[in-house]
Amino acid sequence: MLALDLLFNGLIIGVFYSLMAIGLSLIFGILKVVNFAHGEFYMVGAYAYTLAAIMLGLSPWLALPFAFIIGAMVGLVVERLLMRPLYAGYASWGLMRDEYAVIITFGLSMLLINLVDKIVGPYAFKGPALIGVSRLYIGPIVISGHRLIAAITAVGVITVIMLVVRYSLWGRQIQAVAQNRFGASLAGINPAKASAVVFALAGGLAAMSGALLANIFNPTPDVGVFPAIKSYVIVVLGGMGSVPGGIIASLILGVLESFGSVYISYQYRDTFGLVILIIFLLFRPQGLFGQKSREV
Amino acid sequence: MMMRFGIFAFAATLFAGQALAADPVKIGVTVAQSPPGSVSQGTQVKNAIEVATQIVNDAGGVLGRPIELVVEDTQGIPEKARAAAEKLITRDKVVAIIGEHQSSNVLAAMEVAHRLHVPYINTNGWTDAIREKGYVEVFNPANYNSRVAVAMADTFKALGAKRVVAFCENTDYGIGLAKLLGDQLKERTQGIDYKFETLDRASKDFLPALLPLKANPPDVVVEIMLPPAAYILLNQLYEQGIAPSPKTWLYDASGLADYPDFWQNVSDAAKSMLVFGLYHPKMAAPALGKKIADEYKAKTKNDPSRLLFQAADSLFIVTEAIKSAKSAEPDAIIKAMEELKWTGTRGEVTFSKEKGGFKYHQWIDIPYVTFQVTAVKQNIADTKLVQDPGKPLDTSRLVKPQ
Repeated sequence: MLALDLLFNGLIIGVFYSLMAIGLSLIFGILKVVNFAHGEFYMVGAYAYTLAAIMLGLSPWLALPFAFIIGAMVGLVVERLLMRPLYAGYASWGLMRDEYAVIITFGLSMLLINLVDKIVGPYAFKGPALIGVSRLYIGPIVISGHRLIAAITAVGVITVIMLVVRYSLWGRQIQAVAQNRFGASLAGINPAKASAVVFALAGGLAAMSGALLANIFNPTPDVGVFPAIKSYVIVVLGGMGSVPGGIIASLILGVLESFGSVYISYQYRDTFGLVILIIFLLFRPQGLFGQKSREV
Repeated sequence: MMMRFGIFAFAATLFAGQALAADPVKIGVTVAQSPPGSVSQGTQVKNAIEVATQIVNDAGGVLGRPIELVVEDTQGIPEKARAAAEKLITRDKVVAIIGEHQSSNVLAAMEVAHRLHVPYINTNGWTDAIREKGYVEVFNPANYNSRVAVAMADTFKALGAKRVVAFCENTDYGIGLAKLLGDQLKERTQGIDYKFETLDRASKDFLPALLPLKANPPDVVVEIMLPPAAYILLNQLYEQGIAPSPKTWLYDASGLADYPDFWQNVSDAAKSMLVFGLYHPKMAAPALGKKIADEYKAKTKNDPSRLLFQAADSLFIVTEAIKSAKSAEPDAIIKAMEELKWTGTRGEVTFSKEKGGFKYHQWIDIPYVTFQVTAVKQNIADTKLVQDPGKPLDTSRLVKPQ
């Protein structure tokens, strides 16, 4: 029974990880840079959801899309103001684009944490529950109604995002730009627009993840730091830029942490992912779904 | 000409003397004002010290000089607490440091105070290790882990517990108290099975550590953590039906229930919880305690908490020592504090001079109670006092969790 409990909890946590990691993976896929402010998109979503519900009196079900929109808008603004110099006419920046991305996203992360700290305050804010059932019994498993509904909602959102990226016109444009930015532009696709869409989507997804977890993890301004670290691990494990790889890696990490905490030690919970990461980097650096590549 | 010069020189000396007399006495305050430290605690401490300072200054200050606070944000990080102490002493020239509310930070900052020989008042560092260092500069009007451990062991014995599980944060305070509880249970009770699990205070999901308890719940679950991690732990314990439950008592060793953001973050999870309390409105309070409580409430619109009294006492102890020594020099203040016998906000404060152990420079007889939260969003004043100061737990007053 304990094993079932751990499996269930691990899968649910994995679903939340994947919601967060998909955005990061998409950004890496299309821009080939790591966004160190991704955890703060998550934090913005958690606060947007909680404050919209508590202060504006919005229903939690309306606060969810509100958080998504706020996250998407933050993503869009970040792309337009901070990321666009990476690929919009700043040819001489090509050599130091990685450094630029690291510095600018780190700075943005600090800025967002401190802004929320000063404007909203440093106190923890528990978000409202999506349903008012504190405990649900599924056979031997006990789970809060909110946790279950949040996980189901997350699965729904992930499914929709997968379908959009795979089959919609925008999704195909994103895939094309991810494969070959220059080639896509020759085919009439606007890479800048595709990048903007990806950033908005990534911001919205991370914000949605934060919103869904606001009732469980009582957000504070630094709430995004840990999920962001997990997301970096997941993106590498899944294969840089691979959305399905990211989802599978998230579920594996969630379950691994859950079982490892009990059967090895809770003390090492956050190291399991890093150990797996090192093993992958040694023996399969391209990750689960990544492809081996070589620049010539 | 000479006479004019003489008058001018006399006037200049007089005014310079007056300016010197009006120079403020600077006292350093280190608190967490941003995460990952407990900002909730830091804000209460800072507000309380400001209220106490106002009271002192309104009464004419000390030695005819006003008190000026120099506040530093430590973020609850020991390295920052250490740097803050260094800055306060060397650059701001404070006569004493007060306010720290996290044990790890006290342990870091007191090394600086010891090296530079400046009085350091530990406002809320509970770990015994602070006292065991035996530093002459460090005084402890704060509660201490040994006292909580003894209180808990006696309480669990009175509850008839056979199995106790504690969850502590990965700090000097958390691990220290969890270990001491084990020692006290061994010493004061027979046959209580005890274990503790250390949790990362930056973590958010504690379920994997809690799930193994579902199959065989203990008689008591003890929470030894600070917010916000403590709130998450309480919610997840409740969500899984582990504690509080008809089988399992939930015991809060950290005094969470009087935090201003407590009920915003914890709802049903805290109902029936037993709380180790250093303050309860039903406790008898000295006149200074009532005065500071009223002024704190007027300033912050929050109900008084234990931290209010601890923080206010920290400031008053320094000012009383300066008054009694008639000097703001470190040695004079330290000597005066060692001889102090003064009624503060919680009772008569004296510091033990017994060296070697947790008693050194400790106010030994800090009053405490145990109370039970019996309803959601309950004010502390309405909670049920199940143990009066200096008395054993009255089990007949307990309300069994449903």
